[in-house]
Amino acid sequence: MSSILKSNFQRIKMRTLLILNMTSVGLMMSGYCQGENFQVHGFAAQGIIDVNGSNYVNDDGALSTELTEIGLNASYSLTQTLRLAGQIVYLDGGNRYDDGVRVDYALLDWSAYSNENWQVNFYLGRYKNYHWLYSSTRDIPFTRPSIILPQSVYFDGFRDISVGADGGALKISHSSDTLGNFDFNISTGSSSISNEQTKIVMGDFALGEMKHSYDLQTSLYWQPLLSSWRFGLALLDSDFEYEAVAQGDMFIDADITLQRVIANVLYEGENWEFSGEVLQERFVLEDFYFDNFHRDSIGQGIYVQSRYKVNSDLTLLARYERYYANKDDRSGRELEASTGGFVPNYFGYQHDATLGLSYDLADNLRLQFEYHYIEGAARLTPVILPNPEVNDNESWQLWAMHLMYWF
Amino acid sequence: MNAVDVIVHLSVSENNVTTSQLRRIYTMRQTQWPDGQPIVVFVLPKQHSLHQRFSKERLQIFPYQLERIWNKLTYSGLGVAPILVSTPEALIVAVMKTPGAIGYAETIVDKGVVNVINIEK
Repeated sequence: MSSILKSNFQRIKMRTLLILNMTSVGLMMSGYCQGENFQVHGFAAQGIIDVNGSNYVNDDGALSTELTEIGLNASYSLTQTLRLAGQIVYLDGGNRYDDGVRVDYALLDWSAYSNENWQVNFYLGRYKNYHWLYSSTRDIPFTRPSIILPQSVYFDGFRDISVGADGGALKISHSSDTLGNFDFNISTGSSSISNEQTKIVMGDFALGEMKHSYDLQTSLYWQPLLSSWRFGLALLDSDFEYEAVAQGDMFIDADITLQRVIANVLYEGENWEFSGEVLQERFVLEDFYFDNFHRDSIGQGIYVQSRYKVNSDLTLLARYERYYANKDDRSGRELEASTGGFVPNYFGYQHDATLGLSYDLADNLRLQFEYHYIEGAARLTPVILPNPEVNDNESWQLWAMHLMYWF
Repeated sequence: MNAVDVIVHLSVSENNVTTSQLRRIYTMRQTQWPDGQPIVVFVLPKQHSLHQRFSKERLQIFPYQLERIWNKLTYSGLGVAPILVSTPEALIVAVMKTPGAIGYAETIVDKGVVNVINIEK
């Protein structure tokens, strides 16, 4: 027990030091490192989060400080058409994802063609997922509408495999004086998957290695001329391989395919904002439990949210989300029956009603608060082998408070 | 109250821009002048009343929308956001000193120092 307390204390000490460092770096940098060719920016955020009735953040249900996001980025223009950019982040989200320091992106941006109406850019290296409404900045607290993003689309259990990849991306932007703005993105690459991430997806009994072997994503956005509306469509096709260890592994060698179609809409008015995303995802498991095991299911999710700006500092948020892991088994009863009652039916869906507010204490300092009421456990981890012992409630709640600073 | 003028460095040959062109420049969708010279965009802090007036009156876009676009560029590696300066006076000086620069001003600026360009509807 004392060693756990000690390691927790060490962690909090480290995070406090990191945040203090970042704040002082920020105050120092904001004055000097904003030039034509070289820019440095960063952020630091710390929160408290309390989950009752699930293992979303921790197993014991205690109030947690595992809500830390710190980052530092730099952009350097080598020539008029070549630019280097990178960002390092430290994240701690408890059970939500692997904690620690990581390279968020590190890329070479080549502006291959540019004129008044067109921009063509190639990105090589580690790029972000530029395809969904909040995917490219999902770890940047002040760019999110809420502390916890809608889990149907931004499932934390898949964070590390959907946040970006190593490879190449292409962005073509067209600004038409009659039809409005078009943005087309396409990217292909793969991400390395840590042992911790493997356990988050599969469960503690998975001793082997998971590999992300193929990933192709594309998206198209359209904003009509001078309009407050924007519409988007995104597609994803990815493959994963699981290599089991010879002895003691609960699983055998396996293949996972994940395919997604996401459509989204955004309205930005002076005081009101509406947005939403609708998702259909196909999840295919081959082998896994035994040779020739095959499961092919289609999940569906949707969320709609509204934000209201009361004044320049205060913004209110309301959101409703529904997610079904298998569209042909919305009640989850087949799931329960197929596992002989081991996995309860509420692991077949997850619906979330969220209320929140954010208050700007200063230009670059924000306090955010939110409450979630959730029914179902389909977006809790592990995914492959759920944990109904800890997650023994159909309904669970979450509240969180987050203080964030950026420069 | 004086109108918000759009000012550019003396090296910029444009005399007129349309609202949609100005919007392209400030949302970083156009990064070069028609003659190929890179555009350097300067702005004031988001809460500054002059920035808010420029955003709404000249760009016809809400300041928070601009901030979101710039944050996405800056924190995802996609691109570069405008350069922030702290006062209207510093903004004029920055535009005066930087070839290809664009900015905005409320006070009547000495025409020999920077060019003031017309906004076509």
